[in-house]
Amino acid sequence: MTKYFVGVDIGSLTVKVVLINDGLEILGQLKTRAGYSGKDVATRLKEQLLAESCLTPQRISATVATGYGRVTFPADREVSEITCQAKGISHLFPSSRTIIDIGGQDSKVIKLLPNGRVGDFTMNDKCAAGTGRFLEVMASALEVEWPEIGELVSSSKNPTKISSFCTVFAESEIISQVSAGALKSDILAGVCDSVASRVASMTRRTGLEKDIVFTGGVALNRGVVNALTKQLGYPLLVFQEPVITAALGAALLAREIHKSSI
Amino acid sequence: MQVSQEKRRNYRPLVSSKTLQKTMGRYYALTNYHRYWGKLMRRPLAWVTSGAPVELLRAFNIHSAYPEQYAAIYSARNATVNLCEVAEAAGYSQDLCSYARSNIGGVLRPDLAPLGGMPKPDLLVACNNICGTVLKWYEVLARHFDVPLLVLDTPFLTGELTTQAKEYVLEQLNAMVTDLEKITHRRLDEKKLAQQMSLSREITSLWIETRQYCRASPSPLNAPDLFINMAPIVVLRGSHEGINFYRKLRDEVKERVDLAQGAIENERIRLVWDNIAIWPQLFSFYKMFSEKGACFVTDTYSGGWAVEQAPGTPLESLAATYTEVFLNRSPKYRANQLINLIKEFKADGFVMHSNRSCKPYSLVQEVIRKEVIHETGVPGLMIEADMADPRAYAEEPVRNRVQAFLETFDDL
Ligand code: SF4
Repeated sequence: MTKYFVGVDIGSLTVKVVLINDGLEILGQLKTRAGYSGKDVATRLKEQLLAESCLTPQRISATVATGYGRVTFPADREVSEITCQAKGISHLFPSSRTIIDIGGQDSKVIKLLPNGRVGDFTMNDKCAAGTGRFLEVMASALEVEWPEIGELVSSSKNPTKISSFCTVFAESEIISQVSAGALKSDILAGVCDSVASRVASMTRRTGLEKDIVFTGGVALNRGVVNALTKQLGYPLLVFQEPVITAALGAALLAREIHKSSI
Repeated sequence: MQVSQEKRRNYRPLVSSKTLQKTMGRYYALTNYHRYWGKLMRRPLAWVTSGAPVELLRAFNIHSAYPEQYAAIYSARNATVNLCEVAEAAGYSQDLCSYARSNIGGVLRPDLAPLGGMPKPDLLVACNNICGTVLKWYEVLARHFDVPLLVLDTPFLTGELTTQAKEYVLEQLNAMVTDLEKITHRRLDEKKLAQQMSLSREITSLWIETRQYCRASPSPLNAPDLFINMAPIVVLRGSHEGINFYRKLRDEVKERVDLAQGAIENERIRLVWDNIAIWPQLFSFYKMFSEKGACFVTDTYSGGWAVEQAPGTPLESLAATYTEVFLNRSPKYRANQLINLIKEFKADGFVMHSNRSCKPYSLVQEVIRKEVIHETGVPGLMIEADMADPRAYAEEPVRNRVQAFLETFDDL
């Protein structure tokens, strides 16, 4: 009988749930805003995913939880998102050696060993610079919806310079650029450059090795992808659903943990 | 399940901690009541930096108190934020070392400081072998208390100690002797100095011996044990009480090794610690490791006091010993020091505390981390925190990193 495994990633902004089978196929995935209680949202999302796949909870052999809400979620094991991300990405891109993950609340760079395990990692700390939150705040100051960013940025000819890493200072910098008459597209391009330069220096610090995979919600933003590619001087691999790669890793780990326990 | 795990004690308490408490309790009582006995016994009170040549002060019968030590206590008793806010309101930057800030806060508002703050000093002695911060910090204190400040300037060593550097420091020590003679109205008693040097050697060798036992597996001590038990070697170096305590500790640690008793249950992972302890989270932080079977078997911080005296006459020896302290040396030296500790103690990895307060300790850590990983092949984690100011500590991100780091030792 086929076995099923679930990975749950309760992040600061979104919750993601992934279902896989023994044959490593992704059977389904769901994501939504984490809201007030990431744990409740995750529980509902998992139920919904099982219902859509016509599976009862009993059919799930193991669940692994990751992300900031991992500790309270009832799972067979909780694993840090660094280990999960490494698992997910090395499964999707076996040639990857460097992972750049920009999520809502933090950004991290993970160095992978040839066997796909974590060799080293660097994370931003106690600061929203270089994270999804930074982009969100700036986009909302400019009254731009998240999906529009990529397009607007690609039309920019003269990106402005955002010199401050601090979210609050950068926001006031933007406001003064707006009142000085700078174009929205140019300011947004400046914002993307700022995120990219912060993350690029973190990547260089951890050690740059090909292939480089860019993942996390911000990897959907073409503006940042292009800016980061330019700054690093290497092409970036991006999975079509970059938001779910840690949840996928969690599901893969659920499968491994289950296998080693029998 | 969570609750019982919380309660489960993965620490083996030390029997000698009673002696430690008594020894330190007596020292603090003596220090804090200095105003009642100091004049009578003709023993002035000096505030000194942790890297000051106290053997010389002891030879002059001077009683020493350590603002850094008090600051660690303020922090362990959750008073640092209040005290730092006092200093910050007085205009001191948040970027200033939190030991300096909380000490200055305590000077301005002793009522907010544990132990009622520090007793008023008769003189100040600062040595910049640990950092440059102490110079300005002690100048502030000298102005505030209007007492003499003696400074020992130890040049930074990019390589080995040079003859010029040694002579330069020796000259200052000679000048310091003259100053101390004036302040205390006493001549330097060479015999007493030699005696102090020998007591200091004895206590140091006990501390070295105790630490060496942690090469055993399981290790008889974990980082919090090392941090707590280093107090007497800092403040009571050259005293008989200090020596008595370290004999007891040494015997207990040796016994643990003989009985194969580890400091933590089920030691699985052996780690080396770099930088000052995270005092406000002393137990909760290190518990993240001990509950996963990871023990800190040695460290560079409390190891700073496990250094044998350099040869020569007492003053020559002091000049070399205090100039050669590890914080006064090149990144290369410090990387080698960590590499040797990892090899000697058969460690599986190391953890560096990037300490917002202590710039000389922290700024070069990333370079050292890379070098050590490269040379030893073991993983090294960097944690961002502060030794005393809890406002610079973010529990969740730290927990996240620690977990990910420890997972690299598992088969995940
Ligand atoms: S900066 Fe570092 S060495 Fe200097 S006083 Fe502060 S903690 Fe000590």
